Amino acid sequence: MTAISKSLGQVTTAGKVIIPLLLVILVVGPIATYLLATVAGPVIVDVLNSNLGIVRFVVAITGVLLFSIPAAFIIIYMELKVIAFMNLRIGPDRVGPKGAAHSVIAGLKVLTKEDFSPNAADRTIFTWAPVIVFLTSVMTFLVIPFGPGLVGAKLNIGVLYLFSVGGMSVVGLLLAGWSSFNKYSLLGGLRAAAQVVSYEIPLTLSVVGLILLAGTLSVDQLAANQAGWFTNWYVFRQPLGALIFFIAATAEANRTPFDLTEADSEIVAGFATEYSGMRFGFLFFAEYVNVFIISALMTTFFFGAWNAPFPFPHLTVALDPGSLGIMLPIAIAVGPLLVTLALAVPFWLIRTKAPAWQALLAGFALANLLAFGAIGLLTYISWDWVAGLIWFFVKSFMFVFVFVWMRGTFPRVRVDQLMGFAWKWLLPASLLNLFVTALAIIVVKSL
Amino acid sequence: MSTVPGMGLLRGMGLTLTRFFQPKATIKWPEQQADVAPRFRGRLQLLYDENGSLKCETCFQCAQACPVECIDMGGMDTRGRFHVHWGPAETYGERREESALRRSGRPVADEAFTRFAALDPTADDEILAAHDDDPREMLAILEEVQGVYGYLPVAALKHIARTTGAWYATVYGTATSYRHFRFEPPSVATAAPAGQGQKVAEAGYLAALDSALRFDGKAAR
Amino acid sequence: MTTPTGLGHHASEDDPRIMLDGQIGQYEQVPPYPPRTEREAEFYSLRDGEMFLNMGPQHPSTHGVLRVVLKINGENVVDLDPVLGYLHRGVEKLCENSDYHHVISQIDPLEYVSSLFMEWAPVMSFEQLLDVKVPRRAEYIRVLTGELLRVASHVLFQGWMALDLGGLAPILYSFIERDEIVEMLAALTGQRMLFNYFRIGGVNGDLNHEFMSRLGDWMSRALVQHEANIGLLNENEIFVRRMRDIGRLDGETAKRMGVSGPNIRAAGVPFDVRRAHPYSVYPELEFDIPVRGTGPAGGDSLDRYLLRLDEVRESIRIIDQCLHNMPDGPVMARLPRLMRPRPGRAWAAVESPRGLFGTYVISDGTDQPFRMKIHDPSFVHLQLVGMLMKNNLIADTMAVMASLDPVMGGIDK
Repeated sequence: MTAISKSLGQVTTAGKVIIPLLLVILVVGPIATYLLATVAGPVIVDVLNSNLGIVRFVVAITGVLLFSIPAAFIIIYMELKVIAFMNLRIGPDRVGPKGAAHSVIAGLKVLTKEDFSPNAADRTIFTWAPVIVFLTSVMTFLVIPFGPGLVGAKLNIGVLYLFSVGGMSVVGLLLAGWSSFNKYSLLGGLRAAAQVVSYEIPLTLSVVGLILLAGTLSVDQLAANQAGWFTNWYVFRQPLGALIFFIAATAEANRTPFDLTEADSEIVAGFATEYSGMRFGFLFFAEYVNVFIISALMTTFFFGAWNAPFPFPHLTVALDPGSLGIMLPIAIAVGPLLVTLALAVPFWLIRTKAPAWQALLAGFALANLLAFGAIGLLTYISWDWVAGLIWFFVKSFMFVFVFVWMRGTFPRVRVDQLMGFAWKWLLPASLLNLFVTALAIIVVKSL
Repeated sequence: MSTVPGMGLLRGMGLTLTRFFQPKATIKWPEQQADVAPRFRGRLQLLYDENGSLKCETCFQCAQACPVECIDMGGMDTRGRFHVHWGPAETYGERREESALRRSGRPVADEAFTRFAALDPTADDEILAAHDDDPREMLAILEEVQGVYGYLPVAALKHIARTTGAWYATVYGTATSYRHFRFEPPSVATAAPAGQGQKVAEAGYLAALDSALRFDGKAAR
Repeated sequence: MTTPTGLGHHASEDDPRIMLDGQIGQYEQVPPYPPRTEREAEFYSLRDGEMFLNMGPQHPSTHGVLRVVLKINGENVVDLDPVLGYLHRGVEKLCENSDYHHVISQIDPLEYVSSLFMEWAPVMSFEQLLDVKVPRRAEYIRVLTGELLRVASHVLFQGWMALDLGGLAPILYSFIERDEIVEMLAALTGQRMLFNYFRIGGVNGDLNHEFMSRLGDWMSRALVQHEANIGLLNENEIFVRRMRDIGRLDGETAKRMGVSGPNIRAAGVPFDVRRAHPYSVYPELEFDIPVRGTGPAGGDSLDRYLLRLDEVRESIRIIDQCLHNMPDGPVMARLPRLMRPRPGRAWAAVESPRGLFGTYVISDGTDQPFRMKIHDPSFVHLQLVGMLMKNNLIADTMAVMASLDPVMGGIDK
């Protein structure tokens, strides 16, 4: 007894709280788990089963909300770093490894700032406008298929939903610009309205050809249609549509070279001029979430969604560890050691002067690499959705990179040229694309 | 512009992509220091030698060259005498304002006269007139002025500088480079032990400074 | 009592910080005084659908602290009124109350982008007053450093031009290019920005090894690097379309308005101080005067932009010749220590990167100039702003203003 009290005396104050808590958890935890599994479990499962639609929706919403913030952080960091590299700068390098936590800290900073609003602003609208902008961006995520089966809501009118919700963000921008009581904001808001409404038309029309081809409005079905070789991707059947969609989506997301709504050299910061604190954070996040969304849509509509560029052999790896019997624990205990030693031997043989521990370390690292590679390959092969997720993100972030790249290169177009381009070039081109597609379908069907 | 629309845009993107992989022009300051040319002047500061004492020899050349008259000097010499002319660094701000006023052409009260006992300049004027206000005859002028007062009061030096057009720094520099010029009345005991004299002199200087700046004994501690 | 606006604190009529209910939603009357001139009365009366947009002095693209009051109708600029004086330092008066040597460092920060030219003109006029013969080596060094700085200035202009049109990359590339030149000059003069290098009767120091090695290094790749950087913009459709056909200036108007430098050469008038009123050793050097916009309509913003790029190539040619023809000898003339020129007057002008920069000095026989008038090209060019920007879009005002390349330090003096 004295030994315990003596050792407890040496523990710090925090430890004195944590150790009893740990003991309590050790005792209570198993009991609670047992009770949950035997008594409450079936009831909960029943309730959830009978309301599967609602459960799915809540889970999807939570997942999308949780996903949007880190996605925005990654894209912000990517933008900072990529543009810096293109400008021959080092970019952020202080917070986290290579400055990776920079955008997270910037987000925290935005949270701690004063939520200022101008005296003459329309307070209610001024407060809610960023929320509208952010929500419309996030809601678009719901119908994007991240992988086979990994879609928030399997709407059969998914494409329609995408455009209607995406078009709503202009309301938020317009409200933000109008309610700020600032001429620069007003100009920014009006520019946003004109720009987004104009580009909405070619954006939608460019996809209509695609819909004619696919015969469905479900985004999930569009993704599934592009399985197999990469020649099945719609970009090869709708190249003009893809190009129009790319340009119009850039304008829709207010990205360079169409970032007139926040043209800093003309109208200071556009609709965001008077915003500060987390309200500005919402506008800022929404912009980067939009970048991810247009990249994801590019991928989904034209670049094969979550499909790999080559038909993937569906192997079912017949691993049955149980059949090894007594050998299984022995293999688990001895295997890693043997592999490490086996991999360390060549290092030790090549560089005899190096101390043995260095060779061992190298062998250990190599063994880990092999193990993780094997596990990764196994998951990739075994589960469709893991492969789909990987391909989806690889493709999406390639497009994000393209958007960032464009921002690092281009100047901004003028407002009349922007509108002229939409109405004089993109709209006729998208109509042409639509007619040619329709004609081709009729010809092919009549043959 | 190229004939194919969009080619210029693509070429620009190609350039930025090549820049993406090139070595970077910025450095990780302060881990890496910039490559500075040996002649780079940078910030004004007094240098110390390897023994830790100031390299400044009080030659006043910097003060003479400064176009905005922001450099000035004060302190003890090796014999424990103090020759402070404008004051310590704390008062540079005021000095600069005064300099700006003087350059604007308006009359400015010269604090040197109020702090160091203003004196009647008629004797100086006669000597200067005899020498035609010529700064090249500075040595003779200074000797004659010392002959009148018994030493070289700061007010007299200021007056000489103003009349001849020579820089005060030059006048003071001339005076200090000859051993036979004195800057205190002959009655002041200069033979006191060096440290002791320094303390007395410093206390006197600080008292004069305090009263001049009305800091009530809080200055220069 | 809290106000209905929900400010959450006590509003009182005495407190000027708090906007009362009646005042909310009202803009302040501009200008706060009754109009003083006919032009002001005309400008500050709004027609239907018009409003004022106050651009600057803290606006991102006004090249310093210029304030422009725009009268806009939607996106169209109906009229505008530049307001100057936010950077006034009284440089002329400072110079008049400084020693002749000190004028060099007083005038140095006048126009901070090309400060060697700010030293050159007064130094030349003082040399005329004092009747000093400058050694040929010193003249060559002046031309060499001056042309280097002209390259740096035009390169920086290119970056600013792109930044005002929304491009992020060119400004950084420009600064990298400018930084090499500026570091090179720092190795020669000791400072990166305000060089304080020219002296009455010569230059401060002879060329040193550090400078020469950096210069040789830079010369070997200057043109290649420059061509690569301008390739980013010159072929860019967005950039060219935005610059073309805006802010047209024809030669007659340019002459009438007293325009000089690249701006008048881009309006089709081959006027260059280096050729028209030769100074220093420019008559001995071979270089062309690039001219653009020779048509009756004159040159637009794109012409002004491209002309500066042509000048960079010519400047590199001049630098090359300077290095090959550099004579031996002293870099300073023998001068009296105390400078008191005889009473008289002198005018000297140089071709700065922005145009004709000149100083007119009157000496009264003392060691300070009695009067010193500074002619700055940016100030002259700014009077074009009202003419060129009118009836354009807001976005075009930036393109026009940037293509005139004003530096507010020189304008406000």
